[in-house]
Amino acid sequence: MYIGLDVGGTHTDAVLLDRGGVVSTCKTDTEHSNLLGSIDRALREVTRGIDLGSIVSVNLSTTLSTNAIVEGNVEPVGLLVSSGPGIDPENFRAGRHFYLLEGSIDHRGSVVRDIDEKALAAAAEGCRKKGVKVFAAVTKFSTRNPDQELSMAGAVSGFSDFTTLGHRLSGQLSFPRRVASAYFNSAVWRTFSDFAGAVQKSVAAMGIGAPLNILKADGGTMPLSRAADYPVESILSGPAASIMGIVSLCHVTEDSIILDIGGTTTDIAIFASGAPLIEREGITMGGFPTLVRSLKTRSIGIGGDSVVAVKKGKVSVGPERRGPSMADGGKQPTLIDALNVRGIISYGNGARSVQGMTALASKHDMTPEELSSTAIECALNAIKNTVEEMIYEINEKPVYTIHELLEGKRIVPEKLYVMGGPAAAFVELLSDRFKIEVTVPKNFEVANAIGAGLARNTMEAELFADTSRGVLSVPNIQVSERIDARYTVERAEADAVRYLAAYMKTIGAAVDEGGIDVVESSAFNMVQGWHTAGRDIRVKCQIRPGVIMDLY
Amino acid sequence: MIQAKNKMGLIFFPAYDWAIEDTHPEREERLLYTQDQLREEGVFDIEGVLEFKPDVATELDVMRTHFCFPDVASVTTESHMISAGGAIRAARLVLDGEVKKSFALVRPPGHHAMKAVHGNRGFCNINNEAIMIEYMRDNYGIKRVAIVDTDCHHGDGTQDIYWNDPNVLFISIHQDGRTLYPGSGHTTEAGGPNARGRTINIPLPPGTSDDGFLYAIDHMVLPILKDFGPEIVVNSAGQDNHYSDPITNMNFTAQGYAILNDRLSPDIAVLEGGYSIQGALPYVNLGIVLAMAGVDYSGVREPNFDEIADEIRQERNITAYIERLTEVVLGNYFKPAEGRELLYPGDYVTRKKNIYYDTDGIQESQVESLMRCNDCGGLLVLESVSSVNPLCLGIEIPVGACPNCRDEGLKYFERARKQKKYAVIHFINRVNKEYVRV
Ligand SMILES: [Zn+2]
Ligand SMILES: [Zn+2]
Repeated sequence: MYIGLDVGGTHTDAVLLDRGGVVSTCKTDTEHSNLLGSIDRALREVTRGIDLGSIVSVNLSTTLSTNAIVEGNVEPVGLLVSSGPGIDPENFRAGRHFYLLEGSIDHRGSVVRDIDEKALAAAAEGCRKKGVKVFAAVTKFSTRNPDQELSMAGAVSGFSDFTTLGHRLSGQLSFPRRVASAYFNSAVWRTFSDFAGAVQKSVAAMGIGAPLNILKADGGTMPLSRAADYPVESILSGPAASIMGIVSLCHVTEDSIILDIGGTTTDIAIFASGAPLIEREGITMGGFPTLVRSLKTRSIGIGGDSVVAVKKGKVSVGPERRGPSMADGGKQPTLIDALNVRGIISYGNGARSVQGMTALASKHDMTPEELSSTAIECALNAIKNTVEEMIYEINEKPVYTIHELLEGKRIVPEKLYVMGGPAAAFVELLSDRFKIEVTVPKNFEVANAIGAGLARNTMEAELFADTSRGVLSVPNIQVSERIDARYTVERAEADAVRYLAAYMKTIGAAVDEGGIDVVESSAFNMVQGWHTAGRDIRVKCQIRPGVIMDLY
Repeated sequence: MIQAKNKMGLIFFPAYDWAIEDTHPEREERLLYTQDQLREEGVFDIEGVLEFKPDVATELDVMRTHFCFPDVASVTTESHMISAGGAIRAARLVLDGEVKKSFALVRPPGHHAMKAVHGNRGFCNINNEAIMIEYMRDNYGIKRVAIVDTDCHHGDGTQDIYWNDPNVLFISIHQDGRTLYPGSGHTTEAGGPNARGRTINIPLPPGTSDDGFLYAIDHMVLPILKDFGPEIVVNSAGQDNHYSDPITNMNFTAQGYAILNDRLSPDIAVLEGGYSIQGALPYVNLGIVLAMAGVDYSGVREPNFDEIADEIRQERNITAYIERLTEVVLGNYFKPAEGRELLYPGDYVTRKKNIYYDTDGIQESQVESLMRCNDCGGLLVLESVSSVNPLCLGIEIPVGACPNCRDEGLKYFERARKQKKYAVIHFINRVNKEYVRV
């Protein structure tokens, strides 16, 4: 049996699942001052009366790291950075202990200038004196040559509790994203690892021996052992939990739209041939683009509790929420009240909905029915426009080969899945609007916890080989090997898969080579003068986000 | 996050699956390291720098601009249509107001492709900038355009296409033709009889560095542009003036390219040549993108710049030579040699050209006849024969042709059709937007 736990901003949801479907569920309020207590309560509730030995895994989605960053509740980080020529690295300053060091590596991974050892030693000493305990070391092109990051880490090893090395976060290029990701990772490290340790203890104390996994924004999980070193990968996993829930609840095979309509927001995701799409670069956290892989989702300020307002004769819905709907005892009419007035739902105290809408409508020379209809229209338009923007963006995504440009697949959604509190009310409205089949999945109230519970371990790795220099590396999983001049792209593909599988084994993840896909692979002849000097080989492989099993 | 002062569109299309030949400079790998550098620098995360897919140019887009013999499909591949389409996309972005400036980082290049096309010369088949400009003129009603070609090689193809066009100013800054392919681009080449002073050549001596290039921009290009008053300025952004380029002899730097773009402030840039793909392109392209977007580019330097700075300093005699060149260049524009008075309107001026297509090994002979006209660019008639095509004919009634030139063109076409002398006739009628091949 599998346990999924989603510790959200308002609720903590837990589910217990087995091959037959949902065995039990639990929804409890999240106690922010005592997250562990909330988790404990939910776990005890869903496991009541079952054989704890039959639990295979416990997967947890938590907003802990996200909240720590958003609320600025983070530890000071000694951020050691070297960039060489290019865009002014001052632009990427983060935190109060930012040290810019001389040193430079070019795009081939050749050291152009050594790290200024004196300045590095001074920076380290400065941090030590100020009591800085966690660090992040980042250089430009460290994914091509990690040596300078390693020597930066070496300079603080005597007194650092934890140091994030930029190249270990991802093989992807982007110095600014590397800086931000490494900074966040170190900034939340202590909070996260303390929490993770406590959860593990409490789960063990309960008698559950199953491994604990943490949900990531890409809709996959990572074993706790990895999460302890890469807590940044746990940020913004909330929307991913619900999307993975849909994956296990519905047999999505077509291009589809997924809507999760909540109280304040609607999360939107797009599936291509049944698989959720992944963000090209990485998620943006608090305005900082990062290297953290995530599903492609967008959130707009339209939900059941979004305020209905009229300004200069124009009706609007959201993005603010000012308490619950009037039907629920609130003070201002919301989208829920509009749906009540139109008789699309009959929720809570319907009379209060009518009362609120009538009061607002009469101020603007409208009938409550007109106002409600316009408000519902407005919400639907906002959702439709955003969906269309997303699809346009996906279809217009830049490609770099003639083949992809001329033969590339275009997304044309054939189905829409909608979940969330007011989901049922929207079925007809949405099918009218989108002119495609609309489905409300079974058990959608706990889709988030189901998604968390059934999400697989995921990971990606980028192999980079240069036969003229005779080197191969997979930076984020610490592979660095010599290769001969005859090394081929076919061997590189096999090696990338093999290295990733081996790494997954070391972190205790349940993955075999068959579950790893090569997603990008290229080989370029490098020419010097008019002769081929070697080959630049690049292979990217990943374990796709997916679920352990379909529920129904 | 960094904010671009100018919202900017980047059409990045490296065509990773296309090359002229395995070890040819124009091969798959050419923009690979540029992409690495731009991604590592986080250029695509700059707020206001947006990436777009190229359009695919249509046969009509090519026929509007070129006489392709025997036809468009025979002298182009998909890669050429996408490269030209990239330039078109760049123009659309600017003219539709989606962005303020755009840069088409596309390959293959196009500036050696002339009016008549029989194959590939100087790595070019069709002229990306010209196809883009003619697209703008037909679809957006743009009238006056200036092209500043900063490729190290003379933009002889673009010069040929606009030789007789009084509304398109073509300025080429390049390494002196006496020392480099294609050998042309002397100050004596200053435009056809109906367009004197609309072709401006600035041949610079080998060894010219940042100082010389920027001097030419400040003292020659900018004053001429100011007077001409174009609606759109296009930069043919070749990058082979770089000190590390393997096939040229100039000493221009990435920082120099960035400053040049800052001062020139083109609306649209289109990549041309540049074959130092590891040592120059990543940094030059970074410099150009930042300068166009209005983002601080002062930190852009080649990694080995410090070691080479002394070596590439401009010699004094070169500085003096360029200073002396100014008067000739400005004179070509502001006091062009008499052209219109040479002949009476209605007479034909002919040019005979022998053109060698180095990449494809084709030899072409042309007779270009232009009708003198005081009211428009003048009817153009071009007879061409090559080692791959028998005698062919191109007739062009130019943009904004006067009724006389239009009537004459229509008559010429009818006559030629009856003669059965030509294997192929291309007829371009810009007034009626009619593009025919018979
Ligand atoms: Zn060139
Ligand atoms: Zn005329």
